[in-house]
Amino acid sequence: MAEKIKLYDDSKCTACRGCQLACKQWNGLKAKQTKNLGTYQNPPTLQANTYMIIRFQDVEDDKGNVKWLFRKDACMHCTDAACVQACPTSALRYNKEFRIVGKDLDRCIGCKNCVAACPFEVPKYDHETDKVYKCDMCESRIVNNMIPACVKACPTGALQWGDKDVMMKAAAKRVKELGGDANIYGDKVVGGTHLMYVLKEKPSVYAGLNQNPHVPYSVLLWKNLLKPLSLLAAGGVIGGSFLHYIIHGPKTPDEDGQGSQAEGGK
Amino acid sequence: MKKGMIKATDAFERVVHWSLALSCILLFVTGLGMMFHSFNFIGNVMGGLRSLKYVHNFGGLVFAVSLVLAVRMWWHEAGKFEMPEDLEWMKAAGGYLWHVDNMPEVGKYNPGQKAFFLAVAVFGAVMVFTGLLMWFQPLSPGLLILMYPLHALGFVVLFAFFFVHLYLGTVGSPGSAPAMFSGWVTRAWAKKQHPKWLRETEESGSLEVYGEEKKEAHSAH
Ligand code: SF4
Ligand code: SF4
Ligand code: SF4
Repeated sequence: MAEKIKLYDDSKCTACRGCQLACKQWNGLKAKQTKNLGTYQNPPTLQANTYMIIRFQDVEDDKGNVKWLFRKDACMHCTDAACVQACPTSALRYNKEFRIVGKDLDRCIGCKNCVAACPFEVPKYDHETDKVYKCDMCESRIVNNMIPACVKACPTGALQWGDKDVMMKAAAKRVKELGGDANIYGDKVVGGTHLMYVLKEKPSVYAGLNQNPHVPYSVLLWKNLLKPLSLLAAGGVIGGSFLHYIIHGPKTPDEDGQGSQAEGGK
Repeated sequence: MKKGMIKATDAFERVVHWSLALSCILLFVTGLGMMFHSFNFIGNVMGGLRSLKYVHNFGGLVFAVSLVLAVRMWWHEAGKFEMPEDLEWMKAAGGYLWHVDNMPEVGKYNPGQKAFFLAVAVFGAVMVFTGLLMWFQPLSPGLLILMYPLHALGFVVLFAFFFVHLYLGTVGSPGSAPAMFSGWVTRAWAKKQHPKWLRETEESGSLEVYGEEKKEAHSAH
């Protein structure tokens, strides 16, 4: 089956948050008491029990008109996923069929490597269970030919799920229709994301949206260079020691005890 | 114990050495179990993947305490290079690689051992420091992520040095290992490996020889 993506079009989103609720419901995530911070954005960020939120933002244009911007914030399902590279136990791993980043909770050891590695600050750690949580693109649904719960709940068509090429064409068409600063976000970063946006405004306008997300260089250095080097260096030492032993020989005390016994006799 | 054996280490030194060494090996094994997916089975052997994290984190604390004790104990003997003899020793590669006629006399620790001690002290501290930061994550994401390659770099160095130490402490230098087991070495070994130390302690009377009274300074019994 073909690679699929989820497309979010903020120009069609009314921020009803049906998706946010559907996500909680499908994943059986309990609600916690939250505080009113003077915005509809609630909770303020992703949480261990909240895999997605709709972000709310007021922006002023050149004429002084205030506009409301919405953005669905959730795991972007990177093709080059830093979290997958950093995860020691493959608790985070690619779904081969859809290329999304799935999660095997029972393998998670709560090391928080993924928390440190993700360029979108998506995985969230929970102290009680000592595990990390994030959107898994409703893996249990999509492998059974159902669409993700958030897409299912969306009443306006702002969320769509489909084959990547079909979605990309739809996104390009929509960008043309919208004109102005409209653009596609996600196709050119981290190898292509599997949650893609059609944005009305330039990406820089959206609060908390990484302008240049990439797998951190630290992770590349760690995994692509130092990791293999650790075995190579140790192997070199072991090989070198063996060669030393058979070529030069060990450093043995002088058997005849020349000088040593004479002195030791006193 | 045979008469004439020489005391190279005291019990406290050996306990610190082994608590540092064994915790370090435990950290290698559990660390490898997390660095390579193909070594994940190490976690399963220990009773579940999660034990990799717990054994690694708490083993790290044992390592940290042992490291502090080891550095305090060996700093004044192994932490400083003596010039020019240590430089000459290094130019001759300690006589380990080619034949050298006049090796500079080595004291209690040769420059190779000093370098090993310093590498363990410095990179051991790096491991403890970065490890704690990765465990509790008090840093901003940009800084936190730097701890991972640093931790991996420390592993590259310590893992390689570990095998050097293992070789030179056993088959590569026969007679050395007892220094860390019973604490007693032969006079021939001391004469070969640490002649200056042997001579100086003998002269000052602080050398302990099995079956002989210490010449002077009966401070310990
Ligand atoms: S957004 Fe973060 S958690 Fe999601 S796949 Fe990318 S790196 Fe992983
Ligand atoms: S916290 Fe869990 S999912 Fe994240 S890297 Fe560690 S084991 Fe993997
Ligand atoms: S795909 Fe599923 S888990 Fe992810 S945000 Fe949508 S409903 Fe939540």
